Amino acid sequence: MADGYVGSAACKTCHADIWFNFYKNPHYKSVASGDQPPELTGCEGCHGPGKAHVDARGGKTTIPRAFSLMEPIAVLDTCLHCHAGDFQKTNIRRSQHSLADVVCTNCHSIHKPATPQLLLAKKQAELCYGCHSDVRAQFSMPFKHRVNEGFVNCTDCHNPHGSFAPDAGMAESTAMTTRAGGNQEACLKCHADKRGPFAYEHPPVRVEGCGVCHVPHGSTNAKLLVRPVVFTLCLRCHNGADSLGTRNNGVPALSNTHNMLDPRYQRCTLCHVRIHGSNSDGYFFR
Amino acid sequence: MRNRLLIGWTLVAHFAVAQQVVSPTPDQAGSLRGQNTADYNVMDSFETGYRFAEVAGSIGTFRSDINYGNGIRLLNSNLTVNSRDGHGRWFDQIVLTTMGLGNDPYQSATLRVEKNKLYRYDMLWRLDDYYSPGLPVAAGLHLMDTGRRMQDHDLTLLPQSKIQFHLGYSRNTQDGPALSSVQLCLNGSVYCGTTGNEFPTFENVRRETDEYRLGGDVDLAGFKLTLMYSWVFFKDDSGYQVNGLETGDNRSSGVTLSQFQRSEPFHGANPYWLGNLTRSGKLLAVNGRVTHLRGTGNFFLDENAFGVTPLGAQNQQVMVGGDASRPQVTGDLSISVFPASRLTIVNNTSVNSTRIDGTSDYGQFNMATQTADFVSFRYLGMRTVANATDLHYRVNSWLSFYGGYHYSDRRIMDIEDFAVSGPFSGAAYEQSNHLQTGLAGVRFKPLKAMTVNLESEAGRANQPFTPVSERNYLALGGRLEYRLKRFTFDAAYKENYNNNSITFSSYSAHARNYSANAAWAPRDWFTLGASYSKLHLDSLSGVVFFASPEAVSPLTSNQVYISNIHAANLLARFVLAKRVDLYVGYTITMDTGDGRSTATPMGATDPATLIFAPVQTFPLNYQTPLARLSIRLREKLRWNAGWQYYNYHEQFGLESFYQGYHANTGYTSLTWSF
Repeated sequence: MADGYVGSAACKTCHADIWFNFYKNPHYKSVASGDQPPELTGCEGCHGPGKAHVDARGGKTTIPRAFSLMEPIAVLDTCLHCHAGDFQKTNIRRSQHSLADVVCTNCHSIHKPATPQLLLAKKQAELCYGCHSDVRAQFSMPFKHRVNEGFVNCTDCHNPHGSFAPDAGMAESTAMTTRAGGNQEACLKCHADKRGPFAYEHPPVRVEGCGVCHVPHGSTNAKLLVRPVVFTLCLRCHNGADSLGTRNNGVPALSNTHNMLDPRYQRCTLCHVRIHGSNSDGYFFR
Repeated sequence: MRNRLLIGWTLVAHFAVAQQVVSPTPDQAGSLRGQNTADYNVMDSFETGYRFAEVAGSIGTFRSDINYGNGIRLLNSNLTVNSRDGHGRWFDQIVLTTMGLGNDPYQSATLRVEKNKLYRYDMLWRLDDYYSPGLPVAAGLHLMDTGRRMQDHDLTLLPQSKIQFHLGYSRNTQDGPALSSVQLCLNGSVYCGTTGNEFPTFENVRRETDEYRLGGDVDLAGFKLTLMYSWVFFKDDSGYQVNGLETGDNRSSGVTLSQFQRSEPFHGANPYWLGNLTRSGKLLAVNGRVTHLRGTGNFFLDENAFGVTPLGAQNQQVMVGGDASRPQVTGDLSISVFPASRLTIVNNTSVNSTRIDGTSDYGQFNMATQTADFVSFRYLGMRTVANATDLHYRVNSWLSFYGGYHYSDRRIMDIEDFAVSGPFSGAAYEQSNHLQTGLAGVRFKPLKAMTVNLESEAGRANQPFTPVSERNYLALGGRLEYRLKRFTFDAAYKENYNNNSITFSSYSAHARNYSANAAWAPRDWFTLGASYSKLHLDSLSGVVFFASPEAVSPLTSNQVYISNIHAANLLARFVLAKRVDLYVGYTITMDTGDGRSTATPMGATDPATLIFAPVQTFPLNYQTPLARLSIRLREKLRWNAGWQYYNYHEQFGLESFYQGYHANTGYTSLTWSF
């Protein structure tokens, strides 16, 4: 046994309640494998060598790594000692969570998890709502993704460990959204029919991403649009302002055929049905 | 200490703020330790019962929002089998969970089977019964009643070794009936104007995506290399048809449709490579990633329409064929430096290049006049280079600072290469945008149990792509956390102001979010949770529009949108005599809009007022009280009953549609577990 290490068997003498169910814990693999060095095995793999703790007959301050006493950065460093190589955690150092000192033990409960696989302290949505109460309000809107129903998880769209720069937008702060198929928007993981590629892309969809028109958490619109009525959304851009391209330098103003007093012209997608992109029509008619 | 309190709190508060849907029942009966069988420990629980729903008002909106129905369900089940020594013969762990099986609109199942050192298999299966009446986007002509099935399978071989192999398969299908619409002139012209008409069409949705993944990890000399290749195939074989006379949305046009058929198979692939190399050390951590995707799509469209116009009977055929491709390359390099134990500096550089090109030969034939229009393809390309540096300095255990500077440069190129006369020219356009962002924040702990966080971010872009994109923006945020073992309180404030001055008009958006969250567990048998959020948004932009048929001169106006959402949530849980669990909750979401009482001011005749005033604000009220009772009948058996009421009301409605409804939903069930 290396210096200061006593082995997990010594720990269970006093911590039988934890040890009793520890074989159900993913970290038990380190014990079961039998070929890991002491600093990567069982209790001492995370908490450090236990000799001083045993000699002192207990006490938190004698545990080299007592997570409840550690500063957040020390918790992060300890867990990353083994988990740094996980592809899903490669951006954890620059994630918004790490900047806010939200580290592993804020979300994960190693010994008393509510979920057996990911060792989350609570069911996922409730865990995230605990800090993001404004997001809870968004999921209390009449139309939303089915997070409260348990059908969709926050991690379907977000990586709480940090994410790569998205392909849409200006590579600004990413809200830690996951990526679909290479580096595409997370929305495309489920809404694959919007992925294309289309011969006629609706440029804002590719350039700015889905969020330019949709609020995925919850909306007053059944299609999760940022406005309750569709034409007010479209007119935010198609308002005569110039940008890139031809007509009005690219962001088309309405043509004079569109009498906006007529309700049929207020239902933009009634004609422009392929608004996410079309293979046949630059106006997205078909 | 903060972490210890947090963990302690999460245990106490587990039931205080449980999820908002009344079922399935989260409680477990009996021992959580399971039963030992041979070398395994088995824990199992399942909840089965009858769910009911009674709806009045807009059933379409209810189905779009809640969609629960009547019938017997396996509401919830959990099975866990664990090897007691980590040396099972075929497996060391099985975890199987299901939700809503038996006809709930949201059904899922997850499975993990794992053998230490040898393999790990994960499966996720989901079914979503999706219904949307399509009222707010197309006046009900885009109704959808489809089912989406998604499944993901991932197998990792040698999961604990330095060389691992990954195999995966995902499938995503969507099928079912739907309505769509088609705009037709039936006069051979692409642009119909007032002579066109829109017709509902029946759509048979048939979409399918299959993905196969193969990859591996190599852990060597302190570096970890991840490689993956994925084959993604998709196809959309949805068809459209109309049989019988349709008079359309614009009956004054005199255009009717008697028969319509469209086939537009769209098949393609999105294969991609992903490579990642990472190394983590005490002073330095480096991560590099590259992805390459080459999306391709092949399509053909054949459309036939027969109808009548004021000019007589018409027969129009449209045929389009071609392909499109979207190659995309992404690269990232992150360097994390830890020059001191209290200082972290991270620099990230990312490059993204996306191009959309290919060929699309569009031919629209008018069989009656023997004329045709041809148009060809459009190009769109984006290249973004970004660099971000973030710094985090922890002065001591109660004070830390962080900040960052981000710079990104994006170039967009667009070629609208149309061969027909009209508004397109075929010229190439190019635009570049630079965004600079600064971030600063401070975190301190004035009390042992209290943490305060303040931060701000300011950004400047010189040429944003759309009028609503961020140009000159400022984001301010603050958060206060006060956490004791049996009481916790959080309050947060976020403000985001964006001003995008463009040539014609200014677009400004101002969002302010206030939220507070409190939970109290004075006794083991009583917990209480409450939250309140106010989400404010106002935006203002100019707009050019026309307000009469074939008008010559446009009108100008301002477009305003104001939303004031108040969301409150109150939950309480009581445990009585250690065998009765009572849970009650109430959630209310109100958008009070801008305070007006009528959608349009009385006596308004100004076109801008008539068009935009009714949609400047959208007040609504959405309430959902709920209650759940769970009684332990035997050590391993519980009886549960739940009720949830929904009441949705829109003050002004949407055009002439009323989407409000109220519904009683609930269930009664038995939970058996050990």
